[in-house]
Amino acid sequence: MALSGMRGLSVFISDVRNCQNKEQEGVRVDKELANIRTRFKNEKGLSVYEKKKYVWKMLYIYMLGYDVDFGHMETVALISAPKYAEKQVGYIVTSCLLNENHDFLRLVINTVRNDIIGRNETFQCLALTMVGNVGGREFSESLAPDVQKLLISNSCRPLVRKKAALCLLRLYRKNPDVVNIDGWSERMVQLLDERDLGVLTAVMSLLVALVANNPEAYWNCVPKCVRTLERLTRGHDIPQEYTYYGIPSPWLQVKTMRVLQYFPAIDDPSIRKSLLDVLQRILLHTDVVKNVNKNNASHAVLFEALALVMHLDAEKEMMSQCVVLLGKFISVREPNIRYLGLENMTRMLLVADVAESIKKHQSQIIISLKDPDISIRRRSLDLLYGMCDVSNAKEIVEELLQYLTTADFGIREELALKAAILAEKFAPDLSWYVDVILQLIEKAGDFVSDEIWYRVVFFVTNNDDLQAYAAEKARGYLDKPAVHETMVKVAGYLLGEYSHLLARRPGCSPKEIFHIINGKFPGVTTPTKAILLSACVKIMMHCQPPNKELVEQVVAVFKRYECSVDAEVQQRAVEFLALSRKGLAMVDIMAEMPKFPERQSALLKKAEDTDGDAAEISATKMRLQQQNSTALVVRDPVPNNGGLHPLSLSKAADSGRHQEQAAESEPPQASGAVPPSESQVYSNGTTLQQAPRAGSREPSGDLLVDLMGPLAIEAPPSAASTSPSDLLALEAPPSAPPAAAIAPGDNLALALLDEAPTQVQPLRNVAEWFKELSMKDSGVLYEDPYVQIGLKAEWRNAQGRMVLFVGNKHTGPLTNLRSSILPPPHLRMQSAAVPNTIPPRAQVQVPVDVACIRASRETAVLDFSYSVGHTPVNITVRLPTLLNKFLQVAPVSANEFVARWRALGGPPTKLQEVVRGVRPMPLAQMADLFIRLHVGVAPGLDPNVNNIVAATTFYSGTAATLCLVRVETDPSDRTQMRLTVASEEPNLTYELKELIKEHVMDIPFASQRTQVATPSAMGLTGPAAALAGLI
Amino acid sequence: MILASLIMNTQGKPRLTKFYEHLSVERQQEVLRAVYSVLSSRADNLCSFVESDDIFGPDTKLVYKHFATLYFVFVIDNAESELGILDLIQVFVETLDRCFKNVCELDIVHNFNKVHTILDEIVMGGQVVETSSAEVMKAVQDIWKLERVGDLNPANVKGIGHYRNSRS
Repeated sequence: MALSGMRGLSVFISDVRNCQNKEQEGVRVDKELANIRTRFKNEKGLSVYEKKKYVWKMLYIYMLGYDVDFGHMETVALISAPKYAEKQVGYIVTSCLLNENHDFLRLVINTVRNDIIGRNETFQCLALTMVGNVGGREFSESLAPDVQKLLISNSCRPLVRKKAALCLLRLYRKNPDVVNIDGWSERMVQLLDERDLGVLTAVMSLLVALVANNPEAYWNCVPKCVRTLERLTRGHDIPQEYTYYGIPSPWLQVKTMRVLQYFPAIDDPSIRKSLLDVLQRILLHTDVVKNVNKNNASHAVLFEALALVMHLDAEKEMMSQCVVLLGKFISVREPNIRYLGLENMTRMLLVADVAESIKKHQSQIIISLKDPDISIRRRSLDLLYGMCDVSNAKEIVEELLQYLTTADFGIREELALKAAILAEKFAPDLSWYVDVILQLIEKAGDFVSDEIWYRVVFFVTNNDDLQAYAAEKARGYLDKPAVHETMVKVAGYLLGEYSHLLARRPGCSPKEIFHIINGKFPGVTTPTKAILLSACVKIMMHCQPPNKELVEQVVAVFKRYECSVDAEVQQRAVEFLALSRKGLAMVDIMAEMPKFPERQSALLKKAEDTDGDAAEISATKMRLQQQNSTALVVRDPVPNNGGLHPLSLSKAADSGRHQEQAAESEPPQASGAVPPSESQVYSNGTTLQQAPRAGSREPSGDLLVDLMGPLAIEAPPSAASTSPSDLLALEAPPSAPPAAAIAPGDNLALALLDEAPTQVQPLRNVAEWFKELSMKDSGVLYEDPYVQIGLKAEWRNAQGRMVLFVGNKHTGPLTNLRSSILPPPHLRMQSAAVPNTIPPRAQVQVPVDVACIRASRETAVLDFSYSVGHTPVNITVRLPTLLNKFLQVAPVSANEFVARWRALGGPPTKLQEVVRGVRPMPLAQMADLFIRLHVGVAPGLDPNVNNIVAATTFYSGTAATLCLVRVETDPSDRTQMRLTVASEEPNLTYELKELIKEHVMDIPFASQRTQVATPSAMGLTGPAAALAGLI
Repeated sequence: MILASLIMNTQGKPRLTKFYEHLSVERQQEVLRAVYSVLSSRADNLCSFVESDDIFGPDTKLVYKHFATLYFVFVIDNAESELGILDLIQVFVETLDRCFKNVCELDIVHNFNKVHTILDEIVMGGQVVETSSAEVMKAVQDIWKLERVGDLNPANVKGIGHYRNSRS
């Protein structure tokens, strides 16, 4: 049975196959490994055939899941053997067994190189395949130039050249810094003329990687790609072997369209037109046929064409044609097409004008939500999530809730989370929101994280007309058998606070409510017990005049938990017991929780953060990120002890970042239901009412945390609850003056809270947003709990257009909107007016045109104000109209550079400075920084590898000025460098030098509050600062 | 990019594994088990794509085809076209079919070394080398010719065709 061409190998494989169980297999494998080991030890006696056989056996054993920790040397040695058969085995098995960092690979680098540069094409193929599969750094360093030569060589066979292309791609992907691709944009253009479709496919793959890294450099490839696509779709001149089920190389068509999606936009009208013509033809002439394989191939092309049309932001007519097609796909029976139809429709949501026409397919999408295939259900869920807005939220969320009852485990968590997010984002009214969340807890309580029910508490507390409604609903749920513990928590809290509003309804007397709550104690965990204890004391307090029987029953509950092993439960029981003896004095202490300050939902924030984290890979991907649906997987809910844990509280004082975290996880305190803040605040002499303020985002909150953190927490919790001093504090009348340490914070808190809305704080450091935008053209400019201002900009030469996206995040309207832009003297700016009001959850766009007259680092300032309720808010932020926006990378040759450099002799056209305090970074990173500043680095121009030479063109008015930059670094001290900048215009030279300095030096951000209050702290100079300072 | 090419049978036994990013043996086995447990729970009339974020990381998918007792699975990231990969699996299987005349699981088990050679002519370093089955055949046959010339063991001179005849 010489099946594999090797009897011994076949016998071994049969033996393994005949093993009855894993143990037998293990014994057989061990025996074989021992055999191979002994044979390898006396290597001299091994024939070529035997060596091959053993190495293949090793690979087989490795595939079965056994670690093969010897014989690697023998395998690698085969690569150096003279015979093809040995080499082949050596190369294949090496690429499977060894990882790129394996030491043995270093030993064969020379052999591999000799095979690559040698004349034997079969050896070349083997070597290229292995290097392409492994792709290590050392391979990149020593082999990339040779591989590049093979790819452009005219004498090589197509087989070798396509492997060289992919090998190079792999080396470049793994170590882009090592592979030198200067001048490759011209080479790629030539390579795209390739007649052999196999080579062309490989070249196209290589082009994807190159373009993805630097689209600017490969613009010249676009026309060739479009021509290739034209040729393929017309089926001209396509060899038979590349026609797959009658379709001219679908693979190459797809790859070519993929490449085109990595270019930001295709503006050249004639190229764009021919491309859109090709795409139009694909959209129109793809039919569904019987043959599955043909269908797959033609639809692979069609879906890629759809993606490209979306990427190109084609004319409205073509877009709606796409929606019609997708609408057809999502209703076909063929599951693959339906899956991709749903996926692409989700992408389509990003195209502004078609959202409405997608909504027409809502019922069909909901059908897919019930498909037997979980892959399709997930796509459908994503799409529904993405297309949901205020107009259809009710319908979609209710559909999700209904599906939740029958959904399988795999999708329930995601489903529950998405339903919660949509309900919160788009709730038409808050009572509906409360209904949805309570239903959600009932149906999938395990997946409803604490943030979600805190949010219910938040809304109910802040909306008086919601309170009775919510309490009644909560009471209804508690009646049901087998209530989820989360439901007990939220219902317990709501009934404690608001059940007195129901007192006159049947079945809702304090006694009856208490009875229900009392019945829940046995089945719940201690944190829930603590909430229930608070509920009991509140019910008792609200029952005026006191009902003796009720008081006795409640006191009995406290007595039961007086000796609880849980310190928190015990403390509450003891304190409430003491309080219950105070009679009327208790009413003050147990008053209703005050309103919460408006703050961003932890749930929505988390959802947004998760979206933002995803890596930016492709153009399509980047577009997808703008949308919430795809990346939304919030797996581990923040442990709810975040705000409670002593460490996190004391850390909170450390830095702003930590404070924010503490504030995010603080809802348990704020809701007053959960342990320390409430009770410890009390034991320090303040009243319960202040608890929620403790962790709020207001500056006062931070102060309180700082002040109380150590006080409340330094004593171990058990000691705190039982120590005599605490009990003494309890005995003091609540109206007694608060502890000295609390007093200042306390007053401050109250004082600031009165004028809270004027203290609207940005969610992050404004300067950080600005800094990000200085390098990018879209992103957030400013955001606070009410408003978000996004910015998108396009720059061309001396002109620019920015669009400000002003979104109202609040549940009420923003009024009295005013916006004005204060341009610095070197810019001319014009902007449209903002409307006076933005309705809830709506967004307006404000276009701003910019023209640059001369060089300056000053920036324009946006002065923006609005009112929420009756409180005016005023924001002043810098706009990223920076010098570098008017720069464009200038390719210069070495001769040109040197000539210009010499011509620009010295100051003031050429300025030099030794910059100290440079942020230490590798040279590649600095080069990258320059490129992001639109200053094009020209590698290789300077013979010293520690230097960077760069050139850029500055546009102003109608002029274009070439600027040259040289950076000399000292590898032994990366904190300093010598910077030389030259241009014909002294002012420009100076400004560019300063701009570069600003970006390479580490300038710490000023703190957040001073930033908003005094714009001069933001590093502004000149008239803009003066203006900003006046406001 | 293609992250891995796998062939396994409907019992979950690996018949060919090739990972284009190195994974430890243990991790490879975990992955195989996870892939198998997903695929074995899927009926035949469902779509050929399964998101595999929890197996291979974010934005990865399994694209698979089920033939008789075998699953052919390619793991891809979002830079590949799903239907394109299905075509590729089809090319792979058609090529195996041409090499082994009505390929079956046993052919792949016993010729796993040859299957490796074929796969290397189709996918390399996670990228597609060749999509034309005819071109792949040409390359593979050249390799086998060279192998036979280079090998002195008479057992090797028997080609696949020879084995076919003796078995049938």
